[in-house]
Amino acid sequence: MFEVIGEKINGTRKTVGTAVVERDAELIRSLAVRQAEAGASWIDVNAGTRSDREPDDLIWLVETVQAVTEVPLCLDSANPEALKAAIGVTARTPLLNSISGEAWRLESVLPLAAQHGCPVIALALDADGIPTGKDGRLAVISRLIEATREAGLPDSGVYVDPLVMTISTDITSALTALDTIRAIRELFPQVHITSGLSNISFGLPARQTVNRAFLTLAMAAGQDSAILDPLDRELRAAMIATELLLGRDRHCRGYTKAYRAGLLGGAPAAAPAPATATA
Amino acid sequence: MTAELVDAIAEMRDDEAVPLAEKLLETGTRPIDILGACREAMAIVGRRFEEGEYFVPELILAGEMLREISELVKPLLAASSDVAKHGRIVLGTVAGDIHDIGKDIVYFMLDVNGFEVHDLGVDVPVDTFVEKVRELQPQVLALSGFLTLSYDAMKETVEALVQAGIRDTVKVMIGGGTVDEQVREYAGADAFGSDAMAAVTLARQWIGVAA
Repeated sequence: MFEVIGEKINGTRKTVGTAVVERDAELIRSLAVRQAEAGASWIDVNAGTRSDREPDDLIWLVETVQAVTEVPLCLDSANPEALKAAIGVTARTPLLNSISGEAWRLESVLPLAAQHGCPVIALALDADGIPTGKDGRLAVISRLIEATREAGLPDSGVYVDPLVMTISTDITSALTALDTIRAIRELFPQVHITSGLSNISFGLPARQTVNRAFLTLAMAAGQDSAILDPLDRELRAAMIATELLLGRDRHCRGYTKAYRAGLLGGAPAAAPAPATATA
Repeated sequence: MTAELVDAIAEMRDDEAVPLAEKLLETGTRPIDILGACREAMAIVGRRFEEGEYFVPELILAGEMLREISELVKPLLAASSDVAKHGRIVLGTVAGDIHDIGKDIVYFMLDVNGFEVHDLGVDVPVDTFVEKVRELQPQVLALSGFLTLSYDAMKETVEALVQAGIRDTVKVMIGGGTVDEQVREYAGADAFGSDAMAAVTLARQWIGVAA
């Protein structure tokens, strides 16, 4: 099943950032419930605050979201202290966002994942930055998976993020990402592959159009998860249709069910109108 | 003739712009006037970007045209006849952060608005900022960062300037991601900006350039 990581509760967005600082639980609860109802497999929580207060802010987010939904959380922070603090208050095993090939991150976050049995998102970058091509990224990913295996994590607990770059600054960005996705799928069949969708369209107008087309291509290449806005109706419709087209929706059940639930197409069909006599 | 060059660059006709610059040089247009035309075109591109008519790809393409034409023209310019710049700015994404797009847009906007900008790149160590401020003596230091962790690196960079005894020689602006007044205070910067134009406005204020 395609796993959506709901991205809405991110303090680097202005309204959410303010809600975190002002402890506006109502706004956070609403975003959590709506994403859960829209079928998110994970709800990402990112406090987006500076590091001295981030642990407290992330704990508050975890507790606020958990109070209204049982969907597990994706703890999103580059700050190991914040992750550690938040893991302590989670009710269900969270997904950790993230590790990378950078030594400090690997050394501080991977042990947390191993200790608590958490799945992790693994970013294809290291101390030298993001490798430009497929081969460089695969090298980083291979090293990362070696490390997660050594730490005792099953491959199915690793969500590899090939790092989708912005197409507006490099026209080959999507091709690189797709090549990388295909190669990861072949080398490590058991891992999940996820990525933030919105990066691809940065700097362009009508970004949703680009995001949607990219999601379809990425799914065809083997991506089975994405960090996205589950409330984006068109995006969700594209995702459901793509699952169908990839032969993963037996008897088209998911698709027709989504239609009846009003998740795609126009309003769900009413009962057939009685045939009217024609003169 | 230079009006055609301005037009070609501003309208994104990259296949015409560079050959046109070559032709202008061959027919006796002064190199300095060609650079002037580039600057004029870049100002148009920058304005269209601010107004939401152009997007990041147009900034990138304009930057490429500018680079190619500069390469043609610069060898012909005596060093002394270079266009006078308003003031000097050192720019970079702070240690631990590798986000470059926002920084690159700020670079572009400062550059087209006539500032001499030294871009130190991404993941710039604190010591490099200190060294460059000492060496280049800029009026402004612009620190970029997208990750929340970058706020700490900004703070460390400003503290290192204090330690080095050169904090008073330079104004520090920060930007990127969600920086706001709280982050500015935390980092000890002089101001923050929420977009590339804010960087230009601040630089003008600090250096004393009329808009």
